[in-house]
Amino acid sequence: MEKINRRTAIKTGLGALAGLSVGELIRLDPLMPGEAFAKAGDVVRNRPRRRIDYSKAKYVTSVCLNCSTVCGLIGTVIDGKLVKVAGNPNDPNNGFSLCAKGQASVLVSEYPERLLYPLKRAGKRGEGLWQRITWEEAHAEIARRIRSAMDQGVPEEVAIHIGRSRLGEEFGRFLSAIGSPTQLNHRALCSSAKRAANYISLGETDWETIDAERSKYFLNFGSNFYEAHQGAIHLARRVVKARAELGAKLVTFDVRLSNTAGRSDEWFAPTPGSEGAIALAMANVLLAENLQDSKFIATWCDLSEAEIRAFVAPYTPEWAAKESGVPAADIKRLAIEFGRAAPTCAAFTNRGSDAHYNGMHNSRAVVMLNAIVGSIGKPGGYCYGEEPRVPAFFADVEPRPPRPTRTSVLENPPEYPLANKWQRMRVGQLVYAYLKENRAKIQVYLSYTLASPTTWPEGRSLAVDVLKDESKIAFHACSDVVYSETAHYADMILPDAAYTERWGFDFRNNFALRRYVTLRQPMQKPPGECLSFADSLINIAKRLGPDVAKYYPFDSHEEQMRMRMQKHVFPSGENGWDFMRRTGVWNDMEQQTFHELYNWELTAKQLEGAKLDEATGFYRKAGADGVERVIGIRVDGKARRGFPTPSRKFTLRHPDLIEAGNKVGWPDDGLPRHVPIPAHADMPADRFHLVSFKWNVHTQGRTAPQKLLTEIVHDNPMWINTQTAASLGIKTGDDVEITTYRPKGATYQPTGEKVGSAVVRVVVMEGIHPRVLAVSNSLGHMYGGRAATAKSAPRGTNPSYSSDPKTEDSDLAERVWWDKAVGGKGAGFNINAILPIQPSPLVGMQGWYDTTCTIRKV
Amino acid sequence: MAQPHWKMAVDVNRCIGCHACSVACKVEHDVPLGSFRTKVYYYDEGQYPKVKRHFLPTMCMQCEDAPCLKVCPTKAIRKDADGVVRIDEQKCDSNGACAAACPYGAIWISTETGADKCDFCSNRLANKMQPACVETCPGDALVFGDANDPDSRYSKYMVQHGKEFTPIKPEAGTKPSVLFRGQNADIEKKIVAGQNHDPHTYEIENWASLKPPGKG
Repeated sequence: MEKINRRTAIKTGLGALAGLSVGELIRLDPLMPGEAFAKAGDVVRNRPRRRIDYSKAKYVTSVCLNCSTVCGLIGTVIDGKLVKVAGNPNDPNNGFSLCAKGQASVLVSEYPERLLYPLKRAGKRGEGLWQRITWEEAHAEIARRIRSAMDQGVPEEVAIHIGRSRLGEEFGRFLSAIGSPTQLNHRALCSSAKRAANYISLGETDWETIDAERSKYFLNFGSNFYEAHQGAIHLARRVVKARAELGAKLVTFDVRLSNTAGRSDEWFAPTPGSEGAIALAMANVLLAENLQDSKFIATWCDLSEAEIRAFVAPYTPEWAAKESGVPAADIKRLAIEFGRAAPTCAAFTNRGSDAHYNGMHNSRAVVMLNAIVGSIGKPGGYCYGEEPRVPAFFADVEPRPPRPTRTSVLENPPEYPLANKWQRMRVGQLVYAYLKENRAKIQVYLSYTLASPTTWPEGRSLAVDVLKDESKIAFHACSDVVYSETAHYADMILPDAAYTERWGFDFRNNFALRRYVTLRQPMQKPPGECLSFADSLINIAKRLGPDVAKYYPFDSHEEQMRMRMQKHVFPSGENGWDFMRRTGVWNDMEQQTFHELYNWELTAKQLEGAKLDEATGFYRKAGADGVERVIGIRVDGKARRGFPTPSRKFTLRHPDLIEAGNKVGWPDDGLPRHVPIPAHADMPADRFHLVSFKWNVHTQGRTAPQKLLTEIVHDNPMWINTQTAASLGIKTGDDVEITTYRPKGATYQPTGEKVGSAVVRVVVMEGIHPRVLAVSNSLGHMYGGRAATAKSAPRGTNPSYSSDPKTEDSDLAERVWWDKAVGGKGAGFNINAILPIQPSPLVGMQGWYDTTCTIRKV
Repeated sequence: MAQPHWKMAVDVNRCIGCHACSVACKVEHDVPLGSFRTKVYYYDEGQYPKVKRHFLPTMCMQCEDAPCLKVCPTKAIRKDADGVVRIDEQKCDSNGACAAACPYGAIWISTETGADKCDFCSNRLANKMQPACVETCPGDALVFGDANDPDSRYSKYMVQHGKEFTPIKPEAGTKPSVLFRGQNADIEKKIVAGQNHDPHTYEIENWASLKPPGKG
């Protein structure tokens, strides 16, 4: 680190970036006493009434990324500036509709505290002192360090760790080009249990696509899709329609009255992690009442009806009532209602049932209900499509680098053999733990809008310790839009283009049950020197020598995207590049919908060169790589697609599960079953379950700087049940000390010991299980600007912000009414800091909702 | 073309409480923090385990007998032929009488540009667009259109369900053009007459209460 003359004038604050010259220093840590900026800021008082003049508007399609639901957008652009967004009606999932987060897309480009220039650390890591550098310097230094790791023969010590990016293909290309497998993510903090359960059961894909607008009955185990489920709005608008127009019924199991639970026809609060027990008992009832679809089971399940009856026999409603606290009579009644609605019914899950030690098992038991009643793939039932992907005619530019041969324990931890079985979901919450234990090291760590100190379990302790430790992470460059906690601990900050300012393909499971793809394109130019991280990687790759540069026959991400699209010409004569930029979405309207995908007959082309194995009924065919694979199964005398599982059927006893269990010494019989959560067995009477949750206006880490969302929710007192609070003498507004404990069983650090304590304010609520406490996971930011940190002040008088009036916002200067200094509730509390790392057995899904705790009134 | 008469019906049964209407409105009109043209109220009713959550999206009711119009000393407020109540920025002196007279908390006062409220996004209507809140609503809970056109979405919806739609706070006697169905009977009590929507009403401590919030 070069020596800094401390007497050099140091500018302070993100706003000062607007006037920062190359070589100048700036202090960005608002918690550190900085020298006050020379002049007090002028608040822009003149706020003329704005009426968007749509007669002057240009419209640009793009894709939202303010959550993982990725809705199609149409941006209204006037004089080069994005002023408003609407849903893109060509998008089959959202149409015109957008949620509050989608509507706030305009704010993402407008942060007055936006990172504008590349910065290099000028003090100690985490001190918050930065020097402006050029992109030339930034890319050259990153390239030098990566080349060094490659020359040492350890390219796996170069890692990219991503938050939600939708640039996975681009990151994979870069890492493959340098020979590193170490592409790290956050899927295990999000949804790996649910995805594993769908792969085990269906084989085809990780995410179901309920044919909700034709459905009559929804059994929802722990999904808060009115607010936060991936694909939330896509599912919610269809469920609302089915309820309003078809009289469909919605039943929700959730430990807390989410908006989904609060608007359901019936709500039940089960013991956390008991959802699988309820589903198994429902399976028992369905078969006892002969509500099964015997033909579907005989044709399409790997087990016979008799075998299913036998394994669900012990799971009676009375047993499940003991496990879950949900009355046996209700379990029986709901199972019968569900069975009678078949096949226009769907039972499904999300994080409420899945973010547990037994989450994958819970989810499998729920998915099984659809198979028993034969709603799999049926109109109005539990449908799914092919794995969504960019269509082959938009394939990436050749030559493409081969897959790396090196391995990394960070990317593929052997303790979790199912984490990477079907897709590379990985176990992201272990990255910092394994670095701390010296199971791996990192020479170059490229983080991308990760916010791990805020969003990771033990983020403010373990993640920060490791991020600060140069012996664990030798060099860290952080690409981000705002000064996040990850950026604070980096060595270099790469100011990113916001999602409204960059390129990329996108897609999700499509509720129209068709193939499709969307294009994210810039709706306006990024401010300052902001540059899409995809462009940074191209620039870096080109500096790494011909062996890497040969995979980059393009100079920018835009050029790469153009090369991918323009070679394809649609029947209308329009090429893909022009078509996608104009419409934003390609929908395959020629295919049949994905209903009953397993029942599709193989085409003559698919059967060309295929061999039928008479013993199993499997059709096998050699792929382009010469390896023979099963492509279908003979059913009713016809060659059909089937389920791409080892049995080619809907799978209830999965051999991979048995094998994985044996491998790690955690035996599994391969069947849906109830796995008791070890830390919950014999829980002392003074212990509570502690869960977290998401609001409809926030994601976990990135929305708090957006003033119009944070105006709605900025504070997160801990929910406690009315009766429980009364018994402890606690009332709304009281502070309590909460102490959390580590898990037990087959997980990381299963000691049961104390993790940490914190003082939190409580809110007494009727809508929560009496033994559960709940705190939202989106708030309590230390950085991210005035909206996120609840500080209402002109930038000029706050040592962190500049006095440049051009980029000042009178809202943030004067009207952050949730600032405690003006009688507001403040910016909330970060609960993740005291939640332990607890990956579930086999899959590695974070047990966000398994934590136990004690509380004490302060 | 015949003179349109713009009206809205709010089908609260279809509302998921997502605040998209409110945020779309604030972006469209650059409404400052702390002030609202459109806001969603929450109300938690009942005792564990029988608890329901209710939502109520609100905006200017475009009253036939608008009290804001009657009290305005500078005659800056008018009811136009298309049914929309509009404020003339040039004539407004920010005296605040209109906000004090509104039973629905719909009007906020800017010291710079005068009184401001929902005008069904007149700038968008002029370009044949729906109001921002209507366009974005994921549940299609906001049903908008020309009541004079039998083929409009509004007219068709009202033919089918019109009997179930009523104004909120009918006792105010202002004959609102915005009608509701499916809302909880008590939730309208959360709207304080005579002052713009208090942002503190959404603080979670106030969800189960029908009383106006105390600040802090």
